[in-house]
Amino acid sequence: MTRTHGIKWAVAGVAALSLLATACGGSDSATDDTTGGKDLKGTIFVTGSSTVEPISSLVGESFNGENSGVDITVEGPGTGDGFKKFCAGEADVANASRTIKDEEKELCASGGVEFVELAVANDALSVITNSKNTAVKCLNFADLYGLMGPESDNVSTWAGAKELGATTELPDAPFKIFAPGQESGTYDSFWELAIKKTAEEKLGKEKAEEKKLRTFGGLADDNEIIRGIQSSDTSFGWVGFAFADQADVAKIEVDGGEGCVEPSAATVADGTYPLARTLYIYVNKAKAQKSEALQAFVSYYLENGAEFVEEADYVQLPEADATAATEAWEQVLAGDGAEATTTTAG
Amino acid sequence: MASILTPPSEAVDREVAAAISGGGRDARGLAFQTLLLLAMLMALGVLVWLLYSVIDGALPVFSERSLGDFLQGKLSGSPARFGVAQGIIGSFWILVFVAVFSFPLGVASAIYLEEYAADNRFSRLVNVLVRNLAGVPAVVYGLLGLFLFKGLLGGLTGGSSLISAGLTMAILVLPVVIITSAEAIRAVPQPLREGGYGLGATRWEVIKTQVLPYAAPGILTGTVLSFARALGEAAPLLIIGTATGLLTASGGSVMETLRGKYTAMPMLVYVATKRPAEKWLPLASAAALVLLVVLLVANTAAILARNHFEKRRS
Repeated sequence: MTRTHGIKWAVAGVAALSLLATACGGSDSATDDTTGGKDLKGTIFVTGSSTVEPISSLVGESFNGENSGVDITVEGPGTGDGFKKFCAGEADVANASRTIKDEEKELCASGGVEFVELAVANDALSVITNSKNTAVKCLNFADLYGLMGPESDNVSTWAGAKELGATTELPDAPFKIFAPGQESGTYDSFWELAIKKTAEEKLGKEKAEEKKLRTFGGLADDNEIIRGIQSSDTSFGWVGFAFADQADVAKIEVDGGEGCVEPSAATVADGTYPLARTLYIYVNKAKAQKSEALQAFVSYYLENGAEFVEEADYVQLPEADATAATEAWEQVLAGDGAEATTTTAG
Repeated sequence: MASILTPPSEAVDREVAAAISGGGRDARGLAFQTLLLLAMLMALGVLVWLLYSVIDGALPVFSERSLGDFLQGKLSGSPARFGVAQGIIGSFWILVFVAVFSFPLGVASAIYLEEYAADNRFSRLVNVLVRNLAGVPAVVYGLLGLFLFKGLLGGLTGGSSLISAGLTMAILVLPVVIITSAEAIRAVPQPLREGGYGLGATRWEVIKTQVLPYAAPGILTGTVLSFARALGEAAPLLIIGTATGLLTASGGSVMETLRGKYTAMPMLVYVATKRPAEKWLPLASAAALVLLVVLLVANTAAILARNHFEKRRS
């Protein structure tokens, strides 16, 4: 214990020193036009969510095309693993398919890593079933709670959700789950967006938070989920939009209280799809203030990201959220880094 | 004496055959032979099916772009640009580490164990340990690499770098190199050594001029098979960490390359299987095909080298 504490303090000390050392230099580099063809040099390491990985890779590839002196590495071990590396000061940027959790914030604090959260894209968390399962067209939050909520461990047919308050007429057919496991950010997003509110009303905050979704065998791989969904006529699961859109599965509409809405770029953009999640990048402030290359990269990401968001089959941020992200970033560039600024979208 | 010299008549032949086979036709023997043939055909069938599915899966890639384009392509978020060049380079460097560290260390250990170590409790314990280490799953070596090369020696290796990956793979295959080399050395006929000693050669001279040349084909075969393992393992690399989305390098000294981020062939296959299948699965098959071809080349090289040394021996 004492040894790890020692290391943490050392890391915190180094980070604090570097913050001090670069506080003055940071402000004048911020006024430079970073997109101009300057001879930038440096290395940028991006880790985190495998969902966001393709966007960051595309942005990085394009940025590198204009700034060949900047070496960019992007990896995608997952949002949780990414934050572990990011909070240890190992990475410059963490991709995330959800917001940072409290315990991860503590991890970053003890690692001496201050960060800024920037929304970069939206994604429609798509609830899917086999394309032969025409009996289920739309589910509301009560149905989803009945099927996937913390109390539903014994629900083995779609119709069984009725006992837990489902209001839609569902088929009396086996309910087979093919969905991401707990380590996935996509598991957390589904909990947060679809189940959490109902669960807290029924069970109270603590009990709901403790169990989250019902117990099921989670899958680590999105393609495995798709294959599972295709293998069984009455399957159920959820994946990011890109996976649902590019495969032969049926997307189930979701009713968040204002009617059934299909997941699509349009319904996410106009804010009507209830299971839209925001994708983020987290940038290490101290590293950004030290590295002009990193500053330029993040600025480039916010300015040109939209194009690559579409290429990777995600959804552009609404203008207000994009502006909020840009403003939060400009504050960091201006060296106003007293505390972690956050822009929470949507 | 006379009965031996007289050539046996056909009638005797038939009698003997009947006595051995128990009178009737050898039905059991025939059944056993058929069973063995079926087993062989099944194993072969699985292999052919594997090859077919990989090639068939990879075809869509090569109908859209040339092989050269795919071989020169780099890690990318776009399936149209994704290629294996960086994986080939990364895997090549890992092999260099294996060749530089595992081969000399492994062969030297084997020579010591077989030629010098006395047959006592200690040497037997070492033998058992090495044999068990060869069976340890690759993931465990990944954890070792994570702790040792990325953690403790992170300052030297550069963390999730080629050095960490190369050294981990070198340790991973070391037991296999030791075992195969030791077995090759054990197979050297004792009279060959005794002949050397009889001519007044020292132990080192006998090893150098008699034992090693005789054992070389076996050592080489084992070593190259272990190279193939290092080439194909993904688990340790997953744990140590590799670039999976993008890897751009502006070039630099060899040391910078070695301490830098990397990717390797099996990781590219893995990465491509994780992305939306419609566009990416053919790329996974194509990358797997490249990996298979590289392995085939490595194994062919091993066979050629073995034949070369066997010719020299005779």
